[in-house]
Amino acid sequence: MLKRLRENKSSQGTLLISPTLVFMVGLLIIPLILTLIISFGKRSADGNVIYTFGLHNYIRILGISSDCPGGQAICFDPLYANILWRSLTLAFNSTVLVIALAYPLAYFIARAHPMKRNTFLFMVLVPLWTNFVIRVYAWMMLLRTQGVINSLLGWLAGLVGLHFTPLEMLYTPGAVLVGMVYEFLPFMILPIFTSLEKIDNSLYEAAADLGANPIRTFFRVTLPLSMPGVVAGTILVFIPVMGTFIVSDLLGGKQVILIGNLIQRQFLDARDPTFGSAASLILMAMTLIVTFFYTRKFGFGEEIVAA
Amino acid sequence: MKNKFWKLLAVMMIASLLLAACGGGGADTGGGEKVTSSGFVCPEPEVQMEVASTELNLFVWTEYIPTEWKECFEMVYGVTINHDEYSSNEEMYAKLSAGGATYDLVQPTDYIVALMIRQGLLQKLDHAKLPMASFNPSYLDLTFDPGNEYTIPYQAGADALIYNADAVPNPPASYADLWNPEYAGRMVFLDDSRVIIGMTLLTLGYDVNTKDPAQLEEAKNKLAELIPGVKLFDSDSPKTALIAGDVDLGITWTGEAFTANQENPAFTFVYPTEGTILWQDNWAMPTGAPHSDAAYAWISYTMQGNMFWMMLRDFPYINPSQAALDYAKDNQTDLYDAYINSTITNMPADAIAAGHYIEDVGDATPLYDQIWTEIKGGQ
Repeated sequence: MLKRLRENKSSQGTLLISPTLVFMVGLLIIPLILTLIISFGKRSADGNVIYTFGLHNYIRILGISSDCPGGQAICFDPLYANILWRSLTLAFNSTVLVIALAYPLAYFIARAHPMKRNTFLFMVLVPLWTNFVIRVYAWMMLLRTQGVINSLLGWLAGLVGLHFTPLEMLYTPGAVLVGMVYEFLPFMILPIFTSLEKIDNSLYEAAADLGANPIRTFFRVTLPLSMPGVVAGTILVFIPVMGTFIVSDLLGGKQVILIGNLIQRQFLDARDPTFGSAASLILMAMTLIVTFFYTRKFGFGEEIVAA
Repeated sequence: MKNKFWKLLAVMMIASLLLAACGGGGADTGGGEKVTSSGFVCPEPEVQMEVASTELNLFVWTEYIPTEWKECFEMVYGVTINHDEYSSNEEMYAKLSAGGATYDLVQPTDYIVALMIRQGLLQKLDHAKLPMASFNPSYLDLTFDPGNEYTIPYQAGADALIYNADAVPNPPASYADLWNPEYAGRMVFLDDSRVIIGMTLLTLGYDVNTKDPAQLEEAKNKLAELIPGVKLFDSDSPKTALIAGDVDLGITWTGEAFTANQENPAFTFVYPTEGTILWQDNWAMPTGAPHSDAAYAWISYTMQGNMFWMMLRDFPYINPSQAALDYAKDNQTDLYDAYINSTITNMPADAIAAGHYIEDVGDATPLYDQIWTEIKGGQ
């Protein structure tokens, strides 16, 4: 038995991936199939699942309604489409902002002295040691009407004798955006840093020898070679922002409803797991479509892995 | 859950300070006295129960159990307490009915009790093991559980209006007043579908437990006008945003209002002219609770007067335990006076008489749930 294993490459491979395989089938594939089955079901009055086959949950989320204000037979109710659109926009905006903040920082770290580089990377990672929810709470303290930022601004305005009306920051869509950007920034910095670090120094020297100024070097050499990092980071940021609900719950005051909140509500407060399952699958489908077109255009950032 | 982190952090810091100062609290001191990390001397159980279990799984509302209870119970009975929290009845119900969870005690509110009994989620209680005589009888034998077969009272209260008198010169007197455009963007509401839809029904002159789809549709449309003006939904700690000045008025529970009022007397609690929404939280034991012996011991121990008075200090809702009030009257005079002299906790009889209880609506439940989803998502 052992001897055969030693000689047979393919059974070695099977053995190596089997723990992961068991994990993936047990905790991903099977739950996914269950979600699909439940999504065709109906809820009972008490909130249990009645297993039937119907597309009513999908029809509902797509906004096709037979209960029309004008009395028509069929009309479009944009409620859930709006929630999906809001989530997509937020995910897009967060990702763009995260790139804008992460790129210069990653560049700075990659170009820093190797001795300092680890210290900087360490500093990027330190906040992740604290629980996610606690960090969001820290933002609540900063953003409150009588919070740290407003108190500081009020004090500064007082110094120059200006009247200061506290800014309304907490429980707004802007606060949710700030929270998302903060939360996912490290996931963009690290891949960009990795791809920047991989760039051979001789390429910069060659560019300089050939007469390119630093700006031209950046756009012709640095940026194209670091794109795999940006692409990988984008996938790591965009997808979780689409599904996160805790940031919008806490910083948005539970009135900025994203698709993640909608799904979470169905399983808890609204007691309709069938609709929640359908919404989860729609979210997955949407994320897949967006990622598909994105990676078709830019790749998976696999150059990082290859490098 | 959330606020707990800060609380926990504070408690830990204080605890470590105390430990440094007196070189070890929170343990048996020489004479066999059990003292908590906050310095509270645990009383002996009035009824010593036989407990074979070594664990107790509680599933309770956020911020609803004094920390001393847990420490004392663990020391007195040698039982480890596992403690999960929820912030809506629907959430608790969803987790329990999904199965898999093995809780020994939960704290359902009146209307969800009837549903849980119907679904077979609760088991009958053995009154011989419970401190039935310690309760004020007005909180026993209510319509959701006649004869208290499945539940015993924990706390009661109202979901009424609160405003900051310094910031709201023109305060609301009724739920209907909340539609005043002056208040838009300044309100905190409980994140509770039945309460918020219920109060809207009241403003329309309908029953708070209506099953009529037409009335509910009307309420939904009316509520849709109000929701964009709600800055925050919070069923964990609505007082926090009020005290911090993020919002100036809203709908909240008795105990939260009382604490806010103690902190700043400008916070005023109003029983709306439509009649306030009333509720009662209860202890109940899920079917198949693995440590029922520890659960009975927990209830019996924490509900004795010299323990349950702490609710007046930490979570000042309406206290259904006569034993606790009697104990506080003699031993915690300040707390007792504050409780008795406040119309928030010592609710006027006419406010109770005019109040409305939320009840299980059976087949109409999906309608309420769907309205809530649509209302909140539709902004």
